Amino acid sequence: MDGGGGGLRRIGPFLIEKDLVAPPIRVLLVSAAALALAFLTAALVFWAYGVDPVLAYRTIFVETLLSSGGFAEGVRRAIPLLLAGVGLVLAFRAQFWNIGAEGQLLLGAVAAAGVALFAPLPAALLLPAMFLAGFVAGGLWAVLPALLKLRLGVNDVLTTLMLNYVAVYLVEWLIHGPWRGRTAFGFAYSDRFPEPAMLPLIPGTYVHWPTLLLALAGALAAWFVLTHTTWGYPVRVTGDNPEAARYAHMPVFRVVFAVALASGGFAGLAGVGEVAGVHGRLLEAYQISLGYGYTAIIVAWLARGNPLGAMLTALFMGLIFASGDVMKISLQMPFRVTDVFNGLILFFLISSERLLYYRVRWAPVRKGD
Amino acid sequence: MRKGLLAVLLVLLVAAGFAQGDKLKACWIYVGPVGDYGWSHAHDQGRIAAEKALPWLETQYVESVPEAQAEAYIDRLVKQGCEVVFATSFGYMDSVLAAARKHPDVIFAHATGFKRAPNVATYMADFYQLYYLNGLMAGALTKSGKVGYVAAFPIPELKRHISAFALGVRAVNPDAEVLVRWIYEWYNPAAAKEATEALIAEGADVFAFTEDTPTVIQVAAKKGLPSFSHYSPMKRFAPELVVSGQLVHWEKVYIDFLAKVYAGVYTSKNLQDVDYWWLLSQGAVELGGEYGEPVNPRFVSALKARKVNHPVFGKVSVYDLVVKELALMRDVELAFDPFQGPIKDRRGKMRVPAGLRLTKHELETMEWAAPGIKGPWPNEPK
Repeated sequence: MDGGGGGLRRIGPFLIEKDLVAPPIRVLLVSAAALALAFLTAALVFWAYGVDPVLAYRTIFVETLLSSGGFAEGVRRAIPLLLAGVGLVLAFRAQFWNIGAEGQLLLGAVAAAGVALFAPLPAALLLPAMFLAGFVAGGLWAVLPALLKLRLGVNDVLTTLMLNYVAVYLVEWLIHGPWRGRTAFGFAYSDRFPEPAMLPLIPGTYVHWPTLLLALAGALAAWFVLTHTTWGYPVRVTGDNPEAARYAHMPVFRVVFAVALASGGFAGLAGVGEVAGVHGRLLEAYQISLGYGYTAIIVAWLARGNPLGAMLTALFMGLIFASGDVMKISLQMPFRVTDVFNGLILFFLISSERLLYYRVRWAPVRKGD
Repeated sequence: MRKGLLAVLLVLLVAAGFAQGDKLKACWIYVGPVGDYGWSHAHDQGRIAAEKALPWLETQYVESVPEAQAEAYIDRLVKQGCEVVFATSFGYMDSVLAAARKHPDVIFAHATGFKRAPNVATYMADFYQLYYLNGLMAGALTKSGKVGYVAAFPIPELKRHISAFALGVRAVNPDAEVLVRWIYEWYNPAAAKEATEALIAEGADVFAFTEDTPTVIQVAAKKGLPSFSHYSPMKRFAPELVVSGQLVHWEKVYIDFLAKVYAGVYTSKNLQDVDYWWLLSQGAVELGGEYGEPVNPRFVSALKARKVNHPVFGKVSVYDLVVKELALMRDVELAFDPFQGPIKDRRGKMRVPAGLRLTKHELETMEWAAPGIKGPWPNEPK
């Protein structure tokens, strides 16, 4: 096999070639095929459980995409996924392997709760201060492993991942200890945030729209910075080839530092949105986030380094989450079926990844060859 | 409570007579999966029993509902025609109240909560009386004078249970200690195993716990040590060594509540003061590691052999004491209570003055530790 992109294998009149630059149309076709396979396999699972697959899909389709409430639930889950996902797109572009969005999100939630509960601020400044504090806290939580990587060469996958657990225990300690609410009857919750520290919702839904706007603006800004500014260039070069970046006197240290800060900061904003838009208090870590920080890795990865693509993939994953509600309530399936459904989709999407880099060409064998 | 029972019967009769053919749809929201051996499983058993008992009842449930999603789930359930919604976790409290404002014609009941509304009632079946009785037996069975307790979270519910347990232990064995280990999880067999082994190393030889698996029973049984079952009938995991335990009958609450809704006694306008705090006398909880068996027969002779001097009953065996006090608490709420003053906490401060008992509110917010409890006690009052 040659790696350069020549012909590899012939099946009948088709020639299969390696092609490392996947055009968007191929990405769409392969992804659609993977989704179709996942839906077919899930249909088998539905059928084995005793639910008519056609009815199941019609119910899921109608109640998540066509019902306003169902769609809004998908959007609500997409908000933290988009914020954290955009941050991860930035990090991955610079080859800062941030697996710690979950912990950075929790730190954002902690900082927001601290401001909401204890800062003597005028009501109008409360929410902006919470978002700022959340960004800084999440950002610093990512800067720590970035510094370890830059200065001591410590593996960033491990440090970012481990800091997730530290963040979980920090939250647990706060709600069991110093921040435990006087109105919580001894249960592990903080007090409720004051009304001015709560985000407004789109009427009739549970979508906290300020965070949604922030997420969309963040995606646009990240896209603009990466593609249209002199800032984006060193990020991309640092990611593709750090040695070359150093040789070209690019500020590798500052680039990775800034990317880590932005990446963790975006995840922190997601945490602010969850506590100020959904819960209204600090509570157990796994209730705050539902694993958004981990799912955001998939969002970023499916977006293939494009912050605008993350808008689509975050909405997609959000809708998948929402379809789980429909399966549990309308179809009366056990809650694990949601995981099976989501798992199948990811399995097929990820296994189809290799196919993106091959192209099939019509090239019949001519006589004399 | 006899009067209460009559009322239920009456309501059932009225309901049967008048409203035949009309169905009532009740829906349950669980915080965990129904397939475990803990909290959500027990509520689901209650739902199934209620559906069997009430021919006009139609039910639906959703399992593993995160707290953030509760309100949206309730919206969906109401859309599907649920007229009564049971939310079975403390964390659903604010969501339930918000949903109740949005759906004023739907009746809600929230387990373990304390906020009510015209269409939101609260309910709880509590174990503290059983813990005291288990404590009596544990105090009689320990040879080392050290009883081990593996505990989930340091919240008032557990503090109340462990204190009642320790009061029982000390009533029989005035020098015994209850060694407590917190694992900070409702479900974590690995942590429960580790905690049990640490307690064994410290010398504990009888075990009780609050965790949703039979791990503590199994680890203790490997060393041949007796233990007390928790929440579900766990005797089967060590039939020779499970002495007794706590069992719940949520269906008693559900059947009573739903029958009254069906008969029109409870409406979406009059639940502001409806709060079920059900104990032994209402049959909502049961002593034992197996239904219908308060004390494992294998331990009866050992418990009969141990005599104590009781201020009321005089010289009495621990077995007889358990039977007498169980009968008292099952019959009339007022006859006996574990938290009967005078009771000092472990720091020597008077908590229940002589002649008094704790109110429901004091029980629900209890933070102090009874004498004999050893180990960390977060938020212990000075």
